[in-house]
Amino acid sequence: MTSEIKTHAIDIASLQRDSRTLRLEEETHTLQVRDLKLFYGQKEALHGINMDIAKNRVTAFIGPSGCGKSTLLRCFNRMNDLVDGCRIEGQLLLDGENIYDRSVNVADLRRRVGMVFQKPNPFPKSIYENVAYGLRIQGVKKKRVIDDTVEWALRSAALWDEVKDRLHESALGMSGGQQQRLVIARTVAVKPEVLLLDEPASALDPISTLKIEELIHELKRDFTIVIVTHNMQQAARVSDYTAFMYMGDLIEFGVTDTLFTNPAEKQTEDYITGRYG
Amino acid sequence: MRISFSEWTKSGSPWVWLNAGAVAISIIMVVGLLALIAVRGLGHFWPADVIQADYEENGRQRTIIGELVEREMVPAPQLRGAGIEVPEGVEAMARDLIKVGNRDFGSADFIWAMDHFITHTQRPAMLFAAERLEWGNFYGYLREVKEAGQSVGRHTGYEKTQEYLTLWAEFQQRIDRVLDIREQILSIEKKDIGSINYEIERLRLKERSLDLEQSTDTAAYAKIEARRSELNAEYEQLQQRLTDLYQQINRDTFVAEIADGREVEIAVAKIVRAFLPNDMGLAAKIIHYAEKVWEFLSDEPREANTEGGIFPAIFGTVMMVILMSVLVTPFGVIAAVYLREYAKQGFITRLIRIAVNNLAGVPSIVYGVFGLGFFVYFLGGHIDDLFFPEAKPSPTFGTGGLMWASITLALLTVPVVIVATEEGLARIPRAVREGSLALGATKFETLWKVVLPMASPAMMTGVILAIARAAGEVAPLMLVGVVKLAPSLPLDTNYPYLHLDQKFMHLGFHIYDVGFQSPNVEAARPLVYATALLLVVVIALLNFSAIAIRNHLREKYKALEM
Repeated sequence: MTSEIKTHAIDIASLQRDSRTLRLEEETHTLQVRDLKLFYGQKEALHGINMDIAKNRVTAFIGPSGCGKSTLLRCFNRMNDLVDGCRIEGQLLLDGENIYDRSVNVADLRRRVGMVFQKPNPFPKSIYENVAYGLRIQGVKKKRVIDDTVEWALRSAALWDEVKDRLHESALGMSGGQQQRLVIARTVAVKPEVLLLDEPASALDPISTLKIEELIHELKRDFTIVIVTHNMQQAARVSDYTAFMYMGDLIEFGVTDTLFTNPAEKQTEDYITGRYG
Repeated sequence: MRISFSEWTKSGSPWVWLNAGAVAISIIMVVGLLALIAVRGLGHFWPADVIQADYEENGRQRTIIGELVEREMVPAPQLRGAGIEVPEGVEAMARDLIKVGNRDFGSADFIWAMDHFITHTQRPAMLFAAERLEWGNFYGYLREVKEAGQSVGRHTGYEKTQEYLTLWAEFQQRIDRVLDIREQILSIEKKDIGSINYEIERLRLKERSLDLEQSTDTAAYAKIEARRSELNAEYEQLQQRLTDLYQQINRDTFVAEIADGREVEIAVAKIVRAFLPNDMGLAAKIIHYAEKVWEFLSDEPREANTEGGIFPAIFGTVMMVILMSVLVTPFGVIAAVYLREYAKQGFITRLIRIAVNNLAGVPSIVYGVFGLGFFVYFLGGHIDDLFFPEAKPSPTFGTGGLMWASITLALLTVPVVIVATEEGLARIPRAVREGSLALGATKFETLWKVVLPMASPAMMTGVILAIARAAGEVAPLMLVGVVKLAPSLPLDTNYPYLHLDQKFMHLGFHIYDVGFQSPNVEAARPLVYATALLLVVVIALLNFSAIAIRNHLREKYKALEM
């Protein structure tokens, strides 16, 4: 356990060295949010959000409960479509295309923008079938291709060594942390461009949380990651950019290091120093 | 230590006692019910002793031979009213119900005898009982066995002597021969001649449909005619063999002495089984019992359903319940999926849901009337017009049958399946659905691959409830296809094997028919209990298999605790 913490400390150090040189304007922007408003019935929940999400970086959303950070995250793969009475104005561009355009196929969009939820939600199937699910949905039939992808995805989620001998056992027999990494592997297996993580570690114990955080570092090489978290230390540890939201507004958005050490807004400072929230 | 009443109430123990009491009463009632029908029903197959009683009534002497069925106390005034002398000071006298059989030689199967008038009872070892194809049981002493009118052995004693036993063995041997021949006859009549008749009927229908089309295809007519004469020739041959067999089976007769001292002659061909109940040891009785139970389970009924077995009824019941389950499951599941997953939740869906729930409370006879009016007459009539014009005017589907009965019961039970499935769907965690959608699955794929498998235990619960309700239902079936005696099983070796248009027998209706429509109620009563027990067992078995499937599914899709 001590060794894990040590490696983790090194990771944070390297992140901090990195982040000094980060500049949002110089990044490639995978997602661009343009004046996004969201209504639940008559109630406006997001008040015109504008932000750019950098490619192959980790962007964290922080803010007090009910500030709209999860709602915003769920706009990125149109999960809010499932909520009755939810309406959206403005634009959300994925690689320059508006994902709320009529011509967009929602299933295709969700394959490109994968999502991991707060609580592990493996299907009541075997470990192998859980990971192969997305491929089977896409109509992949070749066993070789599926086998290879399942192994690659499980390795990406740092789960392969733990489960390679029981791939065909039920996923429900795994621990919570393993289940969450399985869900990440399942999402990664369909090779999305963007990974949305909605408080992925909030239901897990500290050790599992560390593993997930290490995993996020690994995954950002291949994916653009957006993570919602309650835990400011976690945001500071894992993210390159951080957005602070409050009451449906984006208060401050910038390089994580700067936002935590030298916030521009008074509200941000109050929140990160624990004066409210 | 004393505690006050209010403390005792507060402690909750009265509540526990109340609950325990309610549970105990329910268990006692269920066990008592099962025990009663089990004892009454299963006791019937045990070979009872045959008594020979000397009976003296108003100075008239006679002998009664038969099985003691039950004894009851009758109050003296009632007896005096019936003209029976009762000594002063006696308040009630015992009266025995004796099964005397020999219906063809006396007047009734059962007689009531005053215990008081029986002067002497014995259980002679050589008194035999015989089950017959008609006229019920026979009781008497074997006197003579004849082959083609010629005596092959005669004995006149009443004691268990070597001579008597030799004659008895001769008799048994001839019964075995008769049973063997009867089996051959049945096989020819049911299987061979049955399928020839079936094919000839189909040829007739083919010819009729050619007539209806006003076909000029002489080749087709010729082909039918050729095949028909072939079949007729085969039939003639079989008929010849049957005539031979019938001559053989009627060769032997036997003579027996009955209670009033007469000697009567009976064809051995009429005997199903003859035995010496008073001379049987425990082992022999157990074997006899097992044979009788097996006959009950596997044979067809005889003598207006009061004798023999009830296999066609078991088969019909199980068949109908299985067909009903096969029909009701997809129908109910699809309806529930639409209501829960696709329909816009609002006033109309709520209205539909209320309607579905109320449908479950409609009396079953109403479904029977609906089934008769809509399925049988309307749908069946049109099916006949469209597909079976050659069979008219006799209806094919335009009359009650296995299919209509199954569909009517499916309609009766569909609300149960809908409600159970809907509850199951509602219980699937939102997170699992979202997990599937987030991987790029469409709503349909999510339903099909994740939600429905996870909801399958709930569907099975619905099917279990449906089976429990449908298997015990009788009233609607009487209108849409159940009969007292079906000539053949709805599943046989003639194409198309499963005859959905055929009428069938059902255990529930069988109970009603045997118990209340039978000419011989006393003889049938134990069968009512036995059949009721069997109905309960069949329903329990059907339910247990459904529960086993559900538990298997539950284990497989053990839902996440979310």
